[in-house]
Amino acid sequence: MSIDSYRFLDFASRQVMKAWAARERPGIIPFTPLTKPLADCTVALVSTAGIARNDDRPFDQEGERRNPWWGDPTFREIPLNTTERDVRLYHLHIDPRFGEADLDVVLPMRRLSELAQTGVVGRAAGRHYSVMGYILDAGVLVEQTAPAIASRMRADGVDAAALVPA
Amino acid sequence: MGLVARVLEASGIPTTTLSMIPDLTRVVGVPRLAGISYPFGRPLGRPHDADGQRAVLRAMLDLVPRASGPDTYVELPFVWPESPARARNASKDLPPPPIVDLIMKKPWLLASLYSGRIPEATRAA
Repeated sequence: MSIDSYRFLDFASRQVMKAWAARERPGIIPFTPLTKPLADCTVALVSTAGIARNDDRPFDQEGERRNPWWGDPTFREIPLNTTERDVRLYHLHIDPRFGEADLDVVLPMRRLSELAQTGVVGRAAGRHYSVMGYILDAGVLVEQTAPAIASRMRADGVDAAALVPA
Repeated sequence: MGLVARVLEASGIPTTTLSMIPDLTRVVGVPRLAGISYPFGRPLGRPHDADGQRAVLRAMLDLVPRASGPDTYVELPFVWPESPARARNASKDLPPPPIVDLIMKKPWLLASLYSGRIPEATRAA
């Protein structure tokens, strides 16, 4: 691996993430092959930037401030064509101003639509999603949030999903 | 993030995952991983750099048809135009995340963060 995963981190965060990386084991990794050309696929995006529309419920920042070991494990739908004018980023571990200046920095829906126009992908799904990236206790995220996102994607005929960190 | 990819993939939706910390995402175990050496908060690139953002998205999507099995990993060749110190500097006026603030006040809790063992008293809070 030639990328230095810790290059942009401060010393303390680097040590914590290295400790986590040393402890994790991937186990059996699921794999679903793509069954048609990408150019025929409906694609959906998931961002961990904690994005919520201004007309939707914000992610619970106060809950995390009260208990810093906790992160809001819910998700928000972000309809295609939502722009930075319609959202806020609630992730408390990143600088939200870059994504709030240009939503494509964290949830590239316009870029995905352009790739659909040029035939790289079939189409951009009508709904995309955001969760919070900092969740130490992943129970609800894995047991409820991710399956709920999966069932919405299936309902929308999504053929492939791209996950973007924050 | 990696955990969400695993659930989607297991439910029949092929996924591709971008990561700025591929070391960590790789041990979580995702089907297709694209590592990128970009700062946190700017995974696709700089605001308003549409060409750069499109290149990153396209590179991660290209992995979906290319991968023939799980744990497919590529490193994207994109280079961030600033030093790490300068990239961090742009955000130094922000308050620290709550967990960092807590550990600065109660440094002995760092061991819990290292181990990933969440203190029991806070679990239900």
